[in-house]
Amino acid sequence: MISAEKIVKIWESYSAFYWKGLTNTLWIAALAVVLGLVLGLLIASGRMMTVKKDENVIIAIIKSIVKFICIAYVEVLRATPLLVQVFVIYYGATTAGLKLPDATMTRMMWGLIAVALNSGAYLSEVIRSGIGAVPGGQMEAARCVGMNHWQAMRYVILPQAVRNILPALCNEFVTIIKETSVLSMVGISELMFQAQSVASTTYIFVEPYIIAAIMYFIIVFTLSKLISVFERRMSRSVTR
Amino acid sequence: MSHANQEVLIQVKDLRKHFKHVEVLKGIDIDIHKGEVVAVIGPSGSGKSTFLRCLNLLEQPTGGRIIFEGSDLTNKNTNINQLRQKMGMVFQSFNLFANMTVLKNLTIGPMKIKGMKQEEAEKLAMQLLGRVGLADRADAYPIQMSGGQQQRVAIARALAMQPDVMLFDEPTSALDPEMVREVLDVMKQLASEHMTMVVVTHEMGFAREVADRVVFIDEGVIQEEGAPEKFFSNPKNQRLKDFLSKVL
Repeated sequence: MISAEKIVKIWESYSAFYWKGLTNTLWIAALAVVLGLVLGLLIASGRMMTVKKDENVIIAIIKSIVKFICIAYVEVLRATPLLVQVFVIYYGATTAGLKLPDATMTRMMWGLIAVALNSGAYLSEVIRSGIGAVPGGQMEAARCVGMNHWQAMRYVILPQAVRNILPALCNEFVTIIKETSVLSMVGISELMFQAQSVASTTYIFVEPYIIAAIMYFIIVFTLSKLISVFERRMSRSVTR
Repeated sequence: MSHANQEVLIQVKDLRKHFKHVEVLKGIDIDIHKGEVVAVIGPSGSGKSTFLRCLNLLEQPTGGRIIFEGSDLTNKNTNINQLRQKMGMVFQSFNLFANMTVLKNLTIGPMKIKGMKQEEAEKLAMQLLGRVGLADRADAYPIQMSGGQQQRVAIARALAMQPDVMLFDEPTSALDPEMVREVLDVMKQLASEHMTMVVVTHEMGFAREVADRVVFIDEGVIQEEGAPEKFFSNPKNQRLKDFLSKVL
């Protein structure tokens, strides 16, 4: 039986533990999304490169290779579990001797990088579809005013794409908050790991996780609702 | 309006375009003179829109040459961005920049491309909006306007770059019938100011009334062309006769 009494008791003794875990979870998730966004932008631009007919052969070959790498990256990362990626990256890197002086920092770093790499793959697709959703006529009209490709992207396409991307980006952050729980498997002291520690200290194996679940729920549920309010307001706006 | 002795603005020589396996343009030759209004008509799928879109290289021609103000557009070394500034384009679907107000739609080109000062660009924009009767909508976003209003803004946007020629790709085809007039009126006014215009259109009334020359394209070639009176009252080409009998 789940006991409310136990939950209260554990919370009273270990709340600082949980708060530390939650703090780590949130900043890892936030940083992972920011890094993932940068990576996603690079991958999306790589994937969207087009080889023109009259292009220099060497440039055309380089472009094709870059494009292939970007596609392969996205496909591999989306078709394998995050947990596997975290293990491969964390153990791969530490076995290769890529460590910081401090063991905790090393864990944090590789855990964060693994999640960011994963997030980058998903976000590149979000970015790509956000740009793809801007009607083709917008680019044509921009070019007809005399803008070159990059000016058209900067003044016309990207501002509109950002509006398409923003809600999905926020949702990615929410998803990542939940997914960082796999980092407990490599000993990063995020929320799930802290709950595990409490469980193994107290020999109570349900209630510590219930507390973690409640904390995840409050954060994720609140953020999701905020995002959908924000999304609704954006879709009503006239500045599409 | 006669254009017989006027300077040639756009010279099109043996223009060809094929998409994969479909040959859309099979050799178009035409000279467009300064100040001339050319209406291009033809059945759908005839290649008339492709022809227009080749003129400013929205479509890359697969053969032939387009010489605009002495520059060969089909030459790889030609700076197409620079030349496009001199060729205004108006689309069937308006394509106003959705993320900008009407005013910004008009000023972005002059400011970012021509380096015009904001104050000057806005003055020009307001003057053009006044000309198309929309000065009071400067702060509106495209989505808040009717199709006819959007198209008039699109014309003003193209004019803001002070082009030497205006290309219209079926500018009234996406409009509700009651809004066609307001757009045609703006175009008519533009023609009376001796703007060089190439207009792909289904509006036979407009072609007859405003154009100096009507060009009939079908099956990727110019089948017949001439002054509107003769063109409409005494067509020679059998395809044109069939076409006119269907649309008039």
